[in-house]
Amino acid sequence: MTKPVNPQKLDGHASSGHDVPKISLRNLSVTYPSGDGTPVKVVQDVSLDVSPGQFVSIVGPSGCGKSTLLRVLSGLLEPASGTALVDGNPVTHAKDRVGFMFQRDTLLPWASAEENILVGAELARIPPQYIAERVKSLIGFLRLAGFEKNLPHQLSGGMRQRVALGRLLAYEPEIFLMDEPFGALDSQTKSAMGRELLRIWTEHRRSVLFVTHDIEEAVTLSDRVVVLSARPGRVKLDVNVDFERPRDPKVLRKDIRFIEMVDRIWSALDLQPI
Amino acid sequence: MLGQFAVDPIWISRPSLIAERLWSLTLEGELWRNTQRTLVEASLGLALAFTVGVPIGIAMARYKYANAVAEPFIMSLYSLPRVALAPLFIIWFGIDLFSKVMMAFSTVLFIFMLNVHEGLKTMDRDLIDLFRTMRASRAYMTRKVLLPWIVPWIIASLRIGVGLSLVGAVVGELLGASAGLGWYIEKSAGRLDTTGVFVGLVMLTVLATIGNILVARLEARFSGWRP
Ligand SMILES: Nc1ncnc2c1ncn2[C@@H]1O[C@H](COP(=O)(O)OP(=O)(O)OP(=O)(O)O)[C@@H](O)[C@H]1O
Ligand SMILES: [Mg+2]
Repeated sequence: MTKPVNPQKLDGHASSGHDVPKISLRNLSVTYPSGDGTPVKVVQDVSLDVSPGQFVSIVGPSGCGKSTLLRVLSGLLEPASGTALVDGNPVTHAKDRVGFMFQRDTLLPWASAEENILVGAELARIPPQYIAERVKSLIGFLRLAGFEKNLPHQLSGGMRQRVALGRLLAYEPEIFLMDEPFGALDSQTKSAMGRELLRIWTEHRRSVLFVTHDIEEAVTLSDRVVVLSARPGRVKLDVNVDFERPRDPKVLRKDIRFIEMVDRIWSALDLQPI
Repeated sequence: MLGQFAVDPIWISRPSLIAERLWSLTLEGELWRNTQRTLVEASLGLALAFTVGVPIGIAMARYKYANAVAEPFIMSLYSLPRVALAPLFIIWFGIDLFSKVMMAFSTVLFIFMLNVHEGLKTMDRDLIDLFRTMRASRAYMTRKVLLPWIVPWIIASLRIGVGLSLVGAVVGELLGASAGLGWYIEKSAGRLDTTGVFVGLVMLTVLATIGNILVARLEARFSGWRP
């Protein structure tokens, strides 16, 4: 059964007001140089706070700057103006590990599934004696057993994404930035991966910023859904999703409040004609 | 006229004569001595070009501004026919082994430099960015991403380099040497000994073939990840 609950109660320590937000974007604008030299504004004046342990999804039309926002948060990109803070510090000086799962699969093409996951564990500075065990347990957990020696081009698209997720988990980030991580998966695998992600999230309570095109997925997984407008991206809608957890997608899908919320988000998205 | 050209062993020799000569030279140890000499010159030149060229190629990719200044000079050196350097190298480095090693080296060096540079220019930026988000050290990125990435480009350089290093060594030998297959060919030609010339060519072909087989092995071993 899904009952709306008080968001205060849902977030526990998260939204108690005096806490420093885990992630904080303040009046952030980002520009890219365009072909003819004039800068193009792709993100405009975005302010967004994510509390510790909060799961926030970002949806928006293609090209509205979702990936760009995550790149700024991971320190890969300098904003044109505004600030991006992690725990109150500029992202480039963040103490926390920020894990990024790219939209494109970015596995080392010459390294096996196992070796790719190992990279995350090594960069997390996990003591060497625990690394092999950690990688092995992730392989099992992500149902990659039997494929650990395969190179990325010998894996299916869904398996490659699971390897990328394995590398992210092996890195044990305090903050998860996930750019359409399950975009290439079939709907069954997608919801299975979503369940796994929620399981991990429930266990460790990390802050998650999750970009997706799938509104139902966003509503099912998140505490909050942020809708960006078409380029230049602005926050158009910011809704709290206060359905009780744990959520059962099968039940939730039939819930009238779920349907209404999905509908509200749909209409907030100004879909451009192609 | 043409008929005479085709039959007369003066011009093209005969397979049986070449085989006989190969056999007698082998028995004398002469064949091995000359082949070994050319092999050593070419492979030292190739190894030196690899050792110097790969780091320079990496530096060219890393220091973009310095490279923008240096590249025109590099390209004009690259376009200079290295054959024309041979007389100079013989004056500088003598008629022995070293001048031929330098000939082979200068012929192949640019192949490594330019290939590695080109390979790094096509590097997958997202891979680098991903490692940066995980705060990988430069040493870790070099070991895990950069070096594996350029392996196929190095192998491609070796593939070209096998032939070119032989060219460098042999050109050096033709101009002044006391041993080597180029020297043997030159000496034979001077005596109108066509059989001797062909023996030299056969052995050069054998060296090139062995080199190519070794490179193909390397390629099979290291480039399997390219789908
Ligand atoms: N490196 C770049 N140089 C110039 N323009 C860029 C660059 N990267 C992205 N852009 C532009 O910035 C805009 C936002 O890109 P971004 O990748 O953030 O969009 P997105 O919201 O993630 O889209 P999608 O949903 O399709 O992934 C796009 O219009 C894109 O063309
Ligand atoms: Mg994107």
